[in-house]
Amino acid sequence: MATGVDFRSLVDASCRYSEEFTNIYYDCMDKKRRTLTRLYLDKATLVWNGNAVSGQAALADFFESLPSSEFSIQTLDCQPVHELATQGQTTLLVVTAGQVKFDGHKQRYFNQNFLLTAQSSPTTDQPVWKIASDCFRFQDWNS
Amino acid sequence: MSTAEDSRYYNDHDDRVGPKFRNRKGRGPFRAPLYSDQVTVGPRSRPRGGPRGGRVPGPRARFDDGDGDVAMSDSSSQDGSSQHRFNPYGRQNRRTDDRFERGRGGGRGRGGNNRGDAAIHNTWFKMSIPHGKKYDKDWLIRGLQNICSVPFTPVHFHTEGNRAQFFVDDSTTANALTRVSRKITDKEGYKVTVLMNPCPPPACLLSELKSADLEHLKQCMAKRFDGSQQALDLNNIRIDPDLVSQNIDVTLNTKNSMRAVNKIIQENIPELVCLNLSNNKLFRLDYLSELVSKVPHLKILNLSHNELKTDRELDKIKGLKLVELWLERNPLCDYFKDQATYVSAMREKFPRLLKLDGQDLPPPIVFDVEDTPAVLPPCKLSYYGSEEIKNAILAFLQQYYSVYDSGDRQPLLDAYHDGAIFSLTVPFTMVNPSRCSLGEYHKDTRNLKKIKDPTTRFRLLKHTRLNVVAFLNELPKTQHDIASLNVDVNTFTNTLLSFTVSGVFKEVEGKSRDSFRAFSRVFITVPAGGTSLCIVNDELFVRNATTEEIRQAFVAPAPTPSSSPVPTLSAPQQEMLNNFSQKSGMNLEWSQKCLQDNEWDYIRAGQVFTDLKAQGKIPDVAFIK
Repeated sequence: MATGVDFRSLVDASCRYSEEFTNIYYDCMDKKRRTLTRLYLDKATLVWNGNAVSGQAALADFFESLPSSEFSIQTLDCQPVHELATQGQTTLLVVTAGQVKFDGHKQRYFNQNFLLTAQSSPTTDQPVWKIASDCFRFQDWNS
Repeated sequence: MSTAEDSRYYNDHDDRVGPKFRNRKGRGPFRAPLYSDQVTVGPRSRPRGGPRGGRVPGPRARFDDGDGDVAMSDSSSQDGSSQHRFNPYGRQNRRTDDRFERGRGGGRGRGGNNRGDAAIHNTWFKMSIPHGKKYDKDWLIRGLQNICSVPFTPVHFHTEGNRAQFFVDDSTTANALTRVSRKITDKEGYKVTVLMNPCPPPACLLSELKSADLEHLKQCMAKRFDGSQQALDLNNIRIDPDLVSQNIDVTLNTKNSMRAVNKIIQENIPELVCLNLSNNKLFRLDYLSELVSKVPHLKILNLSHNELKTDRELDKIKGLKLVELWLERNPLCDYFKDQATYVSAMREKFPRLLKLDGQDLPPPIVFDVEDTPAVLPPCKLSYYGSEEIKNAILAFLQQYYSVYDSGDRQPLLDAYHDGAIFSLTVPFTMVNPSRCSLGEYHKDTRNLKKIKDPTTRFRLLKHTRLNVVAFLNELPKTQHDIASLNVDVNTFTNTLLSFTVSGVFKEVEGKSRDSFRAFSRVFITVPAGGTSLCIVNDELFVRNATTEEIRQAFVAPAPTPSSSPVPTLSAPQQEMLNNFSQKSGMNLEWSQKCLQDNEWDYIRAGQVFTDLKAQGKIPDVAFIK
C-alpha cells in the first residue's frame, strides 16, 4: 500500500492525467474520429449502451458508424486503481458525465468511465496511456 | 377622442349625441365631421393645432404626412357636408394608390407592389381605437370580431396613450374593421371608434422573440407536431390561437421568426421528415435554407400558397433530399410554360423527387453516392459478458445493497479492501430539477472540472475502508430498486472485475425523504475467496431521477423484509381488506398481500394495484375467489 506522501502525489498526478486525457479524447471523438482507435489498447473493450465492441478493427468500424458528435463534459472525477487489481500496472479510473449531440439526433445526457493503463511505447521512452476499457451509457437509454 | 395633448378639450369624448363639431377653435365653417368618420385617417400622437388627433381635414390644413403614407389628397372628404359623413361602404380610402388593390388579394396579385424593399412586402395597417385603453382587451377584440365582416387576428395589440392599437396586414381587413367603427357601444354609452392607418410592418416583428415567447412557440409547435409521422404542420402559423392569445407574432417570412422556428426544430425534432410551411407569405427561402443541414431526414416539404416568385428560391434548399414537394399557388408556378418544364426544373433541383403538387412522378434513376444519415445503435440492457460473471455480480449487489439500504452501513467494512478508494460526483445542472435538491451531496462532490485546488481534490477522495464506510454512513438513507439495476461489465481479468451499475433509489428519511435519485456507480473489485468480491475502487455519480425514471421505478412492490406468517387482522384492517377485495376483484389472500406490502395504506395499495394491473403483471390466480 502506498505511503502517505506517495499516495498524495499519485492522486495529484492522476487528476492532471485525467484532465489531459478527457480533453484529448473528446476532441478526437468530435473532430478526428478516424484517429480515435489509436487511443485504445489492441484488446480494449467498449460497452456502449450495452453493446459490446472489442478489438481495434471492431472499434474502428463502430466509431465510423456513429454520426458526428458534439460532446460537452460537465463532471469529471478520477481515482488511481489499486495495484492489487492491476498486478502492478499503473491504472487510472476516469469517470465523466455530460451531454452529447449526435448529428440528426437530440442532445442527450450520458455517463462514461474509462480504465487507462500506462503502456510502454515501442517508439518512445516514455510510457503512454491507453484505454483498456470504456463504458458509455445515455442517462435516458431506457426511454 | 382625446389624445394626451388635447386634453383641454373636455367633452371631446362625448359623442353620444351624434357627431359634433368639436373643434371650436377657429376652424371655420368647413370644419369637417368627426374624424372618426374618416376612415382613411388615423390618430397621431403628434401635437397638432387643429384636428384633435385626427386628420379632420380642415381644408388641406396641417396634414401630417409623417410617414408619407397618409396623404389626404382628395378633397371629397373634406367638405363639411354630411354626404360623406357616413359613408362606410364606399371606397373610403382615398388612396386608391395601388397599395390597396394589391393588398386586396392578399395573395398572388402582388405584381405591382414595388416598394422595392424585399423585406417589407406586406402592407400593414395600424388600427386605432381612441380611448381604447380603458377597455378590456378581450371584450374589445371579441366585440369587433363578432361584427366585423372579415375575420381578423390582431397583431401586437397594445395601448399608446389612451388609445388601443393593433395591426392587421391587409386592406380588406382594415377596411372591414373601420366599417364597424361606432357600431359598438360601451357600457358608459360611448361608441367605440376604429381608425385605420397604413404603416410599415410593426417593429415587434423585427425584433427577436423573447425566451418566454420562444417557450410558447415551442409548445405551440409541439401541438402541431405528429410524432408518429415526424411531421410538423406550420400552415398559417401566424394565426394560431395559442400564439395570438399570447401576443406572439410569428411571421415566417421574417428572419427572426423563421430563425426561432429553425432553432426549435433543430433542438427538439431534428429527425423531422415532413414539414408544412404553406400559407405563410414566404417570398424567400434564405432563412429556411439555414435549416437544411440540420434536418437530414426531411423528405416532404409543403411550400404551397406562398409568395415565391422564382424557382431560384428553391436553389437555396437544394441540399434537402426531397421526395415530395408542394409548390402550387406560388407566383413562380405561372412562369413555366408547361407542366413538363415545371417538373423538369423541380427534378433538377431535387433529383429524388417522386411527387410534385400531389402528382406522382416516374421514379428517377439515381447514383449511389447516397450519404445516409448515420443512425445510433440501439440501446441494450445489462452486459455481463458471461453467465458466471453475471451470477457473481448479482450476488454481490444483492448483498451490498441490502446492507446499504438497511439503515446502518457499518457492515460494509467487510466489502471493502483496506486500501479502498471512494469518491462522489454530483452534477451541477440537474436533468430534472425538482423541489428536492441534491444539497446533501453537494459538499462532498468531487468534480475536477470545478475544483482545481489539489488539496481540496485530495481531501474529497476517501481513502482506506474506514474512511470510506464512515463517509457512506453519513449519506442519506436509501432504498434501491434492485430489480431495476442495470450492469455493464467493463473489464475482467483474473485479478480485476470492473463493472458499472446504474439505477434508481429513493431517499427514505430526513428532509429529502421520498426524493428519487438516479445513479451510476463504478465498482472495481478483486476476487475475495470463492465467488465473492472485494471492492478496491468505488466511484458514485448521483443525480435527480427524471419523471420517466420515477414512473418506472419500484414497479414491483418492494419486498417486505419480514416473511412472518399472516398476522391476525384488526377490525379496521379486516374492513379495509373486504373493501379492497371487492373493489379490486382480487381474492382475500392477494388483496391482503397487496395491502400488507403497502403498509395498509388503502390509497397507495389501490394505486399500486391499478398500475400493476394495467401492465398485466397480476396473475389470473389472484382473481380466483
